[in-house]
Amino acid sequence: MSGSVLELKGVGFDYGPLSVIDSLDLTVAKNELVVCVGPSGCGKSTLLSLLGGHLAPMRGTIDRRGQSRTIYQAGGLFPWLTVRQNIARGLPEQLAGHARTTKVGEWLEIMRLADFGDHYPHQLSGGMRQRVEIARALAAETDILLMDEPFSALDYQSRNRMRRELVATLVERPRAVVFVTHDIEEAVQIADRVVVLGTRPANVRRVLELPPGRSRSPATPGVAEAEQAIMDELGMS
Amino acid sequence: MPDRVSIPASVQRFLFPSLVGLGVLAIWWGAHAAGMFPIGTVPSPVDVALAFKSELASGRLLDDTIASLYRVAWGFTTAVLAAVPLGLVVGRHAATRAALMPWINFFRSLSPIAWIPFAIIWFGIGDPPAIFILFIATFFQVVLATAAAAASVPRVYYRVAEELGLRGHHVLFQITLPAILPQLVTALRVAIGVAWMVVVAAEMIAVRSGLGFLIVDARNGLRMDLVVCGMITIGGIGIVLDILFSRLARIPSLRWGFDQ
Repeated sequence: MSGSVLELKGVGFDYGPLSVIDSLDLTVAKNELVVCVGPSGCGKSTLLSLLGGHLAPMRGTIDRRGQSRTIYQAGGLFPWLTVRQNIARGLPEQLAGHARTTKVGEWLEIMRLADFGDHYPHQLSGGMRQRVEIARALAAETDILLMDEPFSALDYQSRNRMRRELVATLVERPRAVVFVTHDIEEAVQIADRVVVLGTRPANVRRVLELPPGRSRSPATPGVAEAEQAIMDELGMS
Repeated sequence: MPDRVSIPASVQRFLFPSLVGLGVLAIWWGAHAAGMFPIGTVPSPVDVALAFKSELASGRLLDDTIASLYRVAWGFTTAVLAAVPLGLVVGRHAATRAALMPWINFFRSLSPIAWIPFAIIWFGIGDPPAIFILFIATFFQVVLATAAAAASVPRVYYRVAEELGLRGHHVLFQITLPAILPQLVTALRVAIGVAWMVVVAAEMIAVRSGLGFLIVDARNGLRMDLVVCGMITIGGIGIVLDILFSRLARIPSLRWGFDQ
């Protein structure tokens, strides 16, 4: 596929005798939002490590066009740096002095953190910390964003708000996103495409195309059906 | 409890210890005045106060204090400068850790005082042997604390660093070091306390100045008032050093390690 940024063919990965991922095929198009759901322990985090290049596949090939940044569940921010410094860390290196300051200011505005630039992460709420993480990762202007259950440590309301904010930010600054979660509702609300992973060794059980327009509500046509289909696939209904 | 008059915490911090000090002083004074101690075993508070006055007037107490602090400053600083980089490597590099950890533990368990014979044979008399003892007293503790802290830095920081393009020693100094600083500050606070204890012991043997020497010299002259004068000075400076090092925890980029 010409417009793809990530292309996995027959990818496999083992931890010793334990095969966590096997014959996995996945293609992610430019600016597409793909959400991977699967039972816990199905190798979702291993998959992200492979996609991010932190691990090399033992079988198959991964073709990655462009750089990636990862947003972690919690605690990926450097606690010894202020919000401003953390975001500045994410900026491309070639960006010089004044331009850096301006860019950081922009991101603080976008993420509604303008008053908190000089705060340290431990002084922020969980939702605010996660916004800083997203700002740092997006500030890098890489082509691929990998998200490892980024909102699972948040309370229900913050989680909902963060999903909407992520979708809104991606409209302004589009890029390919691979989002891993165990939350099916989250998956069907924001994804362009949901990839359902099977139990270990993980491979693609089913791919669901969602109706266009991210940020769906449970009442959006097709959402409930998709949710049901995923639950059926995972043997949860 | 709005009805009760409460004493602010800041006042309590000074008032309560002062009251305890005055109480102890009163008991000491009373017991001495009542003749409860055999002659020559415990000096009276007045004798100690007079000893303080004459030692301060002659400038000897100040000179001895400076001599002791000078040795601690050298021994402690050189040890920390050597120990932190080594601790970082030991903490982050599994093979180095496997090779060195038992030996660091071995030497840490040896009392620094046990090195005094070697210190004298290798460095003669004067400041160098005392500084060497202080180096030993600080070095192994700080290597161990740094290594333990460096080994437990959350892996996610290294993942992020990798994506940010940090490599080699940049990772060590921009990720590992700031990540362990709060623990390191706590370790340094403990280490300076040990070093201060050890300087007194080292000065009882190899030198002719310092607070340790003051105590030995006073004992030789049966001047127990002067011994107590030295003890009070040592304890007081110990408290000051501890307060100074505890202040390091207030540095903004370290607060995260203490606020949780």
